[in-house]
Amino acid sequence: MRLGNLPNALVLPVLTVAFIGVSFLSMSCGQVDIPTENILATFCRATGLPFLSEVPVTSVQEAVLLHIRLPRTLVGLMVGAGLGTSGVVMQGIFSNPLADPGVIGVSSGAAVGAVTAIAFGLSETSLLALPISALCGALATMTLTVFLAMRHGKIPMMTLLLAGVVVGMLLGAVTAGILTVLNEQLIHQYLFWTIGGLDYRRWDHVALGVGPILGGIAVMLLMARHLNILVLGDVEARAVGMPVARYRLGLLAVASLVTATGVCISGNIGFVGLVVPHMMRLIVGPDHRRLLPASLLAGGTFLVFCDAVGRVIAYPIEVRVGIMTAFIGTPYFLWLLRRSRNKMQ
Amino acid sequence: MERRTFDMSDEVLVVEGLSAGYHKNQNILTDVSFAVRQGEMVGLIGPNGAGKSTLLKTLRGLLEPLSGSVEIGGRETSKLSSREFARQVAYLQQNIEISFGYSAREIVMTGRYPHLHWWEKESDKDAQIADACMAYTGVDDLTERPVHMMSGGQRQRVLLAKVLAQQTPLLFLDEPATGLDIFYQEEIFRFCRELCDRGKTVLMVVHELSLASKFCSRLMLVGEGRIISDGPPSAVMTSENLSRCYGVPVRVVQNPTTGSLEVFTEPPPDNGRHALLLDTILGRGEA
Repeated sequence: MRLGNLPNALVLPVLTVAFIGVSFLSMSCGQVDIPTENILATFCRATGLPFLSEVPVTSVQEAVLLHIRLPRTLVGLMVGAGLGTSGVVMQGIFSNPLADPGVIGVSSGAAVGAVTAIAFGLSETSLLALPISALCGALATMTLTVFLAMRHGKIPMMTLLLAGVVVGMLLGAVTAGILTVLNEQLIHQYLFWTIGGLDYRRWDHVALGVGPILGGIAVMLLMARHLNILVLGDVEARAVGMPVARYRLGLLAVASLVTATGVCISGNIGFVGLVVPHMMRLIVGPDHRRLLPASLLAGGTFLVFCDAVGRVIAYPIEVRVGIMTAFIGTPYFLWLLRRSRNKMQ
Repeated sequence: MERRTFDMSDEVLVVEGLSAGYHKNQNILTDVSFAVRQGEMVGLIGPNGAGKSTLLKTLRGLLEPLSGSVEIGGRETSKLSSREFARQVAYLQQNIEISFGYSAREIVMTGRYPHLHWWEKESDKDAQIADACMAYTGVDDLTERPVHMMSGGQRQRVLLAKVLAQQTPLLFLDEPATGLDIFYQEEIFRFCRELCDRGKTVLMVVHELSLASKFCSRLMLVGEGRIISDGPPSAVMTSENLSRCYGVPVRVVQNPTTGSLEVFTEPPPDNGRHALLLDTILGRGEA
């Protein structure tokens, strides 16, 4: 009954190969062409392994790879994987396939944080000032939304969803308000941030994201079996003995933290968190023990692939990854959706 | 079938002074007390809105009791952990929607949840139990089918397999047979009867009065915020009890061929208004 021509056992290996393949693609293409062989040779040299020493690597290639392409690719893989898994978890927590990782106001909170950093000139002081300020905004918003929705120690999911929407609107207005008093250059800087991109990502960004994102992903993977229960809804989960409130709040916090970190180091990248889980659900089915790893791999692959394509498609102009995800993802998703509808009838 | 190896005198469920409802000071049920012994198959009957489902939810701990106590297996339920509770009682809710395309087997496997620690994964033994439950309820050929694509009868048998996979001494079933074909209805009752004969205890909300009287060992008639009548089906299912509780004239007749009880309502007296209304509905009134 399920979609996909691949047998289930093959999906994860195929995705893993794609994940690695796309990483190399992203590292090799761009303004400076670096063949795969040279990438491997540079890695060997950097880590002191005695292989491929005969391959000639120019110093430009080495510098571009180690200081530009590698951190950029790593940020893309991390953010994509994080958005993919936290999308799955959010849809599970809300028992709603339309939930987006930003649903409880994370993205709008991050936007307020970012615009504040830009308005006060903090973003000029250090490369990390903007992401950290955005992260603070996101976390504060998350907490606010949860507190607004909480009643007698319980959090009704519908209220939480609505609180998220309302807080998002309010913060949207705050952001717009601040923007109206900024000069053109600062507005441009903010606009650039909102579109979401992986350009100019440095090792600092990798360092900022690696802890929360990888840690969060690990926790979500460990909770896969519990998510299978949580998805069935409140009553069903309690009937089989799950302390629902505790699990739900914990997973919500982890998924939001991962999303917030992702948004902060690479700007707003929509689509991945909503659509990758959908695509993977159509291919591997709803069991989170397959769905989470599949979304992790597919999220990373998809984001880095979009970034690589964006770099070469309109050369020498770079199309930012936030734009590419929508352009590449939408047709594929529509095609999958139509196919699944045909199969169901 | 008669293989009773358990002691019918064991009280597995003791309810004392229980008041239930969704809001404080708005009791749906007030001061309800009863005890259920192992192996009993108890049918909760009564009109819509009488509080049958509320009672079942409160007994299962899904609703906080407004007052009173519930003891299961000799232990106060408010002191049980979520996991311990789910190993004592399996609960089948009414009108459950399974979204996201879970397959029958995945749903039945969720019944094993309370038997696993949070870090454990299902073992082969859990899989065997799930398979046995599905074979018992006759859905072993539907294991990979998504539950949302099943007929009502198939879905209900999958969900029954799920609550059985929980391997609990007590089963609470909220309208397990409502909306099913007559064959599936009887089948659900037959399964319960068989399970009770082997020592499980079943509490079920039922609307099918004839089936309830045929299969249940005990009926509780819920109405007027309390339990109006409690006892063997023949004692509870009287014209007098039902008429009072349902608020319309009800006749209970014993079928001479099958010996089972049949229930009829009598139409309310017509004062000619109906004929007029029908004219309007059918468009035959004067212009």
